[in-house]
Amino acid sequence: MQYCTACQKAIATIVVMDLSEGSVTGSQHVCAECAEQLGVGPMKPPKLPSAMLEDLLGGLKTPPAETPRVECCPGCGMAPADFRAKGRLGCPRCYATFRTDLMPLLQRIHESQSHTGRLPSTMSEAPAAIDPQDLSDLRQKLEDAVRGERYEEAAELRDQLRRAELGEDIDGDED
Amino acid sequence: MVRHKRGDDDDSESADGKSHRDFQPGAWLAGDGPESDIAICTRVRLARNLAGFPFAPSLDETESERLYSFITDRLSQPGLPVKLNLLDLEPVDELERSMLVERHLISRELAASTRHTGVAFDTRESVAIMINEEDHLRVQVFDSGLQLDGAWGRMEQLDDTLMQRLPMAWSEEFGFLTSCPTNTGTGLRLSVMLHLPGLVWSEEIDKATNVAQKISLAVRGLYGEGSRALGDFYQVSNQITLGRDESEIQGDVMLAVSRIVQWEREVREALLRGAARVKTLDRVHRALGTLERAQILTSEEALGCLSALRFGIHTHLVEGFTAEAVNQALLLSQPAHLQRYSQKTLNPEERDQRRAQMLRELLGCTP
Repeated sequence: MQYCTACQKAIATIVVMDLSEGSVTGSQHVCAECAEQLGVGPMKPPKLPSAMLEDLLGGLKTPPAETPRVECCPGCGMAPADFRAKGRLGCPRCYATFRTDLMPLLQRIHESQSHTGRLPSTMSEAPAAIDPQDLSDLRQKLEDAVRGERYEEAAELRDQLRRAELGEDIDGDED
Repeated sequence: MVRHKRGDDDDSESADGKSHRDFQPGAWLAGDGPESDIAICTRVRLARNLAGFPFAPSLDETESERLYSFITDRLSQPGLPVKLNLLDLEPVDELERSMLVERHLISRELAASTRHTGVAFDTRESVAIMINEEDHLRVQVFDSGLQLDGAWGRMEQLDDTLMQRLPMAWSEEFGFLTSCPTNTGTGLRLSVMLHLPGLVWSEEIDKATNVAQKISLAVRGLYGEGSRALGDFYQVSNQITLGRDESEIQGDVMLAVSRIVQWEREVREALLRGAARVKTLDRVHRALGTLERAQILTSEEALGCLSALRFGIHTHLVEGFTAEAVNQALLLSQPAHLQRYSQKTLNPEERDQRRAQMLRELLGCTP
């Protein structure tokens, strides 16, 4: 056990080595606090796959409950300010995200807030129904790809998942 | 007098050998259909978006390309109620795009878009589907005269087929989901293009348009939002798309349009009676004289004269012209059509000369 050569008080846990042309020319044993002051603080632990997964998932994560009332749209990333400035919605999910702003707007424009009229009665025939099982399979594949550090594949899977959650064909097959 | 003979000095062929005589107008310009003396055409438009793609404001370049091929692929499959030809707008230049706007096949927004856009339409130009507009799809159906029922019926059939092959974005609560909240719900815009010279000349037009505005209908110029009502042509359309179903919307538009049409008819009769008659005759014949003799005609003046001539034909003040020819002349004297059917690119002065010449030929007036 060795005391810190800088403060002489704490136990040294870090060895700072001076390197010159590949060989060690000197060394210093310091405590964590002094190391940070010297600008050679301990490195942050490497990201775990779960943290990488979170990064990759990005907008797909559900916002935590304590976040401010209106967040960016999880479907398309549109910010509340964008919606207010342009008066245009960015995706079907925006209808839920910006509901508080949208309802009075619809009332003003249409003197109504809900639809009466045609709906796609033949929707079941439209080739885009999403099986929830497919979604969870896709999530599993994404997690596996991240764990296996197959990041290109993971990015592709992430995009597929994002599209699928918006209600599109999962396999990307456009037939 | 007016002679029905083409000019011998005709040199009006364009670079690809097409002249305005080869022009095939859309069926909606035929000048027939109910109330066609006043109602020029009926247009039905639906705004639709696909589930699985963000709306236009959040759509990036790659997704926009994917959307374009997804839609065009599904549209090209057989089984649509009408055969559509796809026009990829990417290689289409500004002049051709403007022509499509003048023919109402695409919107000014689509013409100005830098995205990969396209339009699918039939040879009669009675159906047009815009791809990658403010909404993923803007579906339009046209009919000549006042035919809300007929046009909506065709649209309903087309929409049914489209919904079977394309996954539309919708919810029970809001109906069809659109990018702009002004279209949410039915996504339906019903428009009737009206020719109202009587109401304009007798200065009753503002009162007439108030009738429509009172039941939340919009009254606009020939080319929709922001365009001026040139040549006494107006468009009446619904604004409310949420909370009223398709047949209620149809009822609203029909109510206002039939009231305005009836009003225009009454005013026309008044313009043909007593002291008013000679003024009306003077107005129509001055317009005809201008069309016959003028060597320089601006687009605005041409529209004004054609409007008066159209009025003269339908009130039997002049004979020997067909409404169809006047409807075509209205379209062909628009800047893009005029240039397209001319030999070369024209500066505005040359355009006005060319317009005067083309109208003389088209209407069979030889000076």
